[in-house]
Amino acid sequence: MTVNITINGQKIQAQPEQTILEAAREHGINIPTLCYHKDLSPTGNCRICMVDVKGARFLQAACATQVWEGMEIETHGEKSIVSRKMTLEMMLANHPVDCLTCEANGDCELQDLAYEYRVEVPEWGTKGTHYPVDSDPNPFIFVDFNKCILCRRCVQACAEIQVRDVWGVAQRGFDETIVAGADTTMLEARCESCGQCVAYCPTGALTSKISRGLGRAPQVTKVTTTCTYCGVGCQLDLNVKDGKVIGVTSNPDAPVNGMALCVKGRYGWDFIHHPDRLTKPLVRQYLLSDQPKPKGKLGEWVEVDWDTALDITARKLSHARDTFGPDSVGILTSAKCLNEENYLMNKFARQVVGTNNIDHCARL
Amino acid sequence: MTNKRIIHQPIQPEIQELAAEYGNDSESILSILTRLQELHGSLSPEIITDAARALSVPAHQAYGMATFYSMLFLEPRKQIVHVCDGPVCWTKNAAATHKAIEAIANDDWTVERASCLGLCDSAPAVLVNNEQAGPVLPEDAAKLLEGWRGTPNGYTTPRKGEVRAMMANAGKVDPKSIDSALEHGAYDGLKKALGMTPEAVVAVVDASGLQGRGGAGFPVGRKWKFVAQARNTPKYVICNADESEPLIFKDRVLIETNPHQILAGMAIAGYACGASEAFIYIRGEYAAQARLLEGAIEQAEEKGWLGDNIQGSGFSFHVHVHRGAGAYICGEETALIESLEGKRGEPRLRPPYPPTAGYRGLPTLVNNVESFAAAANIVRNGADWWRSLSDYETPGTKLYILLGPVENPGLFEAPFGLTLRQIIDEFGGGMLPGSEFRCALTGGAAGTIVDETLLDVPIDYASGSRYGISLGAGAFMVCDQTTSPVALLQVLLHFFAAESCGKCTPCRVGTWRSKEILTRMVNGQGQPGDVEELKALADHMQSASFCGLGQSAGVPMNSAIQHFAQAFEKAANG
Ligand SMILES: Cc1cc2nc3c(=O)[nH]c(=O)nc-3n(C[C@H](O)[C@H](O)[C@H](O)COP(=O)(O)O)c2cc1C
Ligand code: SF4
Ligand code: SF4
Ligand code: SF4
Ligand code: FES
Repeated sequence: MTVNITINGQKIQAQPEQTILEAAREHGINIPTLCYHKDLSPTGNCRICMVDVKGARFLQAACATQVWEGMEIETHGEKSIVSRKMTLEMMLANHPVDCLTCEANGDCELQDLAYEYRVEVPEWGTKGTHYPVDSDPNPFIFVDFNKCILCRRCVQACAEIQVRDVWGVAQRGFDETIVAGADTTMLEARCESCGQCVAYCPTGALTSKISRGLGRAPQVTKVTTTCTYCGVGCQLDLNVKDGKVIGVTSNPDAPVNGMALCVKGRYGWDFIHHPDRLTKPLVRQYLLSDQPKPKGKLGEWVEVDWDTALDITARKLSHARDTFGPDSVGILTSAKCLNEENYLMNKFARQVVGTNNIDHCARL
Repeated sequence: MTNKRIIHQPIQPEIQELAAEYGNDSESILSILTRLQELHGSLSPEIITDAARALSVPAHQAYGMATFYSMLFLEPRKQIVHVCDGPVCWTKNAAATHKAIEAIANDDWTVERASCLGLCDSAPAVLVNNEQAGPVLPEDAAKLLEGWRGTPNGYTTPRKGEVRAMMANAGKVDPKSIDSALEHGAYDGLKKALGMTPEAVVAVVDASGLQGRGGAGFPVGRKWKFVAQARNTPKYVICNADESEPLIFKDRVLIETNPHQILAGMAIAGYACGASEAFIYIRGEYAAQARLLEGAIEQAEEKGWLGDNIQGSGFSFHVHVHRGAGAYICGEETALIESLEGKRGEPRLRPPYPPTAGYRGLPTLVNNVESFAAAANIVRNGADWWRSLSDYETPGTKLYILLGPVENPGLFEAPFGLTLRQIIDEFGGGMLPGSEFRCALTGGAAGTIVDETLLDVPIDYASGSRYGISLGAGAFMVCDQTTSPVALLQVLLHFFAAESCGKCTPCRVGTWRSKEILTRMVNGQGQPGDVEELKALADHMQSASFCGLGQSAGVPMNSAIQHFAQAFEKAANG
């Protein structure tokens, strides 16, 4: 069963459970949103999506109003436009205009809407800076609630996706603010630093601390790849600038994980260009010259090719097995390997070496 | 850098025990926070976090509540005086009272503002550590701190022209004695209902044409039918006694004069709708009235008029009194339900409406105190009797509140369709000598500000949208030449800004911004363009706010600017 509705004069068949917004988006009609996100349950907080429904006394929130048979909707009538402009003005009135240095510049839903609706900060924007910048010591997440529009997407992302319930809403009315726990630090409020809240924040209120100052959305190339950390295989976007990875962002189309990532996938990318990172096999000097293991200092590391390194490994493993028996060898595999690779290591341990001493780091 | 510190610290035993007393029920969080505050003088993030942990709710939820409800606080206090700054107390110069108390209070005392306390007939009103007092003039400050509380009004004798139904037994019934209430037939309606089918009870209320008295006038019978027909069980009945809108105190008077009438109405509703459990959500500032209700419930249970198997009928009905903690928005029915469930009192998305999915997601009937009081009388005396009380198209009677410089302010009961002129002259005895009618705030704070052009319009639930003079919850504040409509509006916006829950942008920022402009205007610092901006703000709040609070904040704004354009222009342009 479908429901016949009209949006901006266009006749549309919608599903009975759909909201105005869902039906409109399905047919390529744009209605702006801020507090709404398709992954989160609708709240109707921000009031940017207000549309004119024929016969209704007031404007209706498209994100939270279900369609009904015969509904006639204007998404960009004069009343809606005036209302949206005023709502945006109200948000901007409490928002420092430092897009020049803001991390979110170019990737900010508030900025985009201000641009689209030609709204400037009103002269009466008097609230000014109200909260300390960088107010939380979390090592990965930079918090600046001066830029918060109180859409509460962070609250919902943490509660509904990460199920940690770190963020909440405190105070009321104009003094309303987002807090972690009982106004503690995020970590004290059970934060796992997964960055879901950052990914869902439409403004520059929550951003990545470790990418700060390294480059902004318009300057980076996004390279979609699979996280190397574990077998879940989350997809993510490496943000690359001048040939260097400067951050990781969620890829909304990721089939396994959607917008979600864990702290390692989202913030554990500094190894990529780290000077300590091993990029070539290294062996100790004494192993190359077939000398016995020296007492005390083990000597220098020497860069070799893979064949050399693997030959030495095979030789030492065979020696250990032949001299001390197969159970003198133990094998630990990694969650960073594919299932197939882990399977092969299992075969290798049991059939080649002949031991059951095999384990996996995911158990630790 | 780890969060182990918090997780591995045991919950303070005292909090653990207190939570256990409430069955570790997360819905009891407001009561537990209130108790902890009484014990410690204030709440701290540590206490709040432990309370949350003991009830297995996120710390932010408890903290969000502690900072939401105005009667909870984080700064230590010993003794508190709350001085009302609502519109009626404002006209009675409560500011002077506030200053006088501050001047003599020593360090043990904290003196603070409060939104309307529901004691408008005792203005200037105050709460001393939750004890109601008034009228408190500046010269009464010392007495007040020593225990004097003023004299409450009784409303025991009807004034000329009154038709009393819900107030019929005021002064005759001893509110503390069920025997006295029973002598006056308090539970006769319930007895009668128990001999009928639930459908027949709904039909009587429906036939009476009773409209809800919370302000919107929704037909009560129709709402009962929705709940009765809802499929999910169990169902709940909630009596809305939040009554926090400036000017309104009728529900307090109904509780004070005849609590059993309300309980009987609730039990009848429960029987008709198929509910066995009920709550009275009463504003935290009505502590004395909450105790009165608790006493009445206890006595009614003893006499078998509430509780299990009422009078052997097989019908059981349990009523719980739930105290709010200072938040006007909790009168909005979905915010009330959130609050009852142990959360911040923020309104919910609708639909679903409470009759389908309310408290705990189950069918819930929410009616105003006066609606239940009326229903008790209607079932007892019949729909025809109710209709016979008045010739006006809206059947039955209504409680009215009249305030301001009139001879005889206060509360009275009369039919619908009165004009403002009748209210002032016939029921109020006319304006005080020397006072001339300038404007009136009708309905309540969320009502209309009108001038003399609307003095002769019959007022009912439709007159607001039809003629621009609203009935709301039935309160009328008359102002004379000494009151500027601009200043009156400023006081109202001060209230809305203080009480906006903050959920949605138009109300959160709009009430604040409107108040800012009006405050400037009142202080002689108006600017050209102020009036246009106020109008735009009013329209925006009305059309785009999430709930009735923001939507109605625009009503007094638009009506005041419409009727007093000159005064506003003058204030804007200096
Ligand atoms: C901001 C706001 C405050 C309200 N406060 C009250 C109140 O204090 N008491 C009340 O009965 N209804 C109040 N209402 C109306 C309730 O939402 C609800 O409509 C009413 O309790 C239903 O009862 P009735 O049908 O008997 O009128 C308020 C509504 C709004 C929007
Ligand atoms: S980083 Fe993750 S766990 Fe921490 S607050 Fe954000 S969403 Fe919640
Ligand atoms: S921090 Fe971001 S996501 Fe959270 S409420 Fe503010 S703007 Fe919205
Ligand atoms: S209109 Fe919005 S901010 Fe105001 S009380 Fe209702 S939900 Fe809260
Ligand atoms: S997107 Fe609809 S109210 Fe925010």
